[in-house]
Amino acid sequence: MSEQDRISHYNYSTFGPQAGEALNWGSSPAIGKPASDFPVWDLDGNETSLSAIWSQHTYTVIEFGSLT
Amino acid sequence: MNEIADKYADKDIGSVFIYTHEAHPGENWRHHTSMEQKYRHARALRDVLGVTRPIYLDALDGACHEAWGAQPNMSFILTRAGAPVYKADWTHPPSVAEALESLVAVGERRQAGERLAPFKIERQEFRYQDSEGFQKGLERAGPQAVSDFAEMMKRFQVPQK
Repeated sequence: MSEQDRISHYNYSTFGPQAGEALNWGSSPAIGKPASDFPVWDLDGNETSLSAIWSQHTYTVIEFGSLT
Repeated sequence: MNEIADKYADKDIGSVFIYTHEAHPGENWRHHTSMEQKYRHARALRDVLGVTRPIYLDALDGACHEAWGAQPNMSFILTRAGAPVYKADWTHPPSVAEALESLVAVGERRQAGERLAPFKIERQEFRYQDSEGFQKGLERAGPQAVSDFAEMMKRFQVPQK
């Protein structure tokens, strides 16, 4: 799948069966094992990473979501 | 979740929000086609919905969101080394708070000299379904979001309350 296809597939334009098919809780990070690291960007456009975030505190709560 | 973040900040517990795709795109908040648009939506999360925790954006292709389970509103608690000690496929603040209380207590008990060993459990939790709040969220997204959801519920024959 090309990058543009991945972007279009992930950012579906209508909430339909495609939304449910993408759910993948079974592959979420396992308890007790190092989670996969990814780049993320703050609201000012500065790039950082999940590891840079979780390494700052004894524990870090991460919530995923959106406006809709 | 803002309140939880504030309550546990002095216990060296951080709290962040990762912005994903729009779970229910509509005319007012459309699906993302650029990072600029995603930034606008994420700023609205702060300015319109009042999220006070640091907000970070996942890449436009949702690489992190997909790798971590792709649920629309999941939550994790991770150690400083990046290992999850709590994960939920839906964010339920009382559940997160309970987990944090337990983790803080573990730290205090260890400091008191207690020998504690970790173990894993899995259990089913239940949360109150705020149908009215959810419907308002769809309406905020736009008429398309409302009709798309209604169509999906009809498909699965789930009566809407």
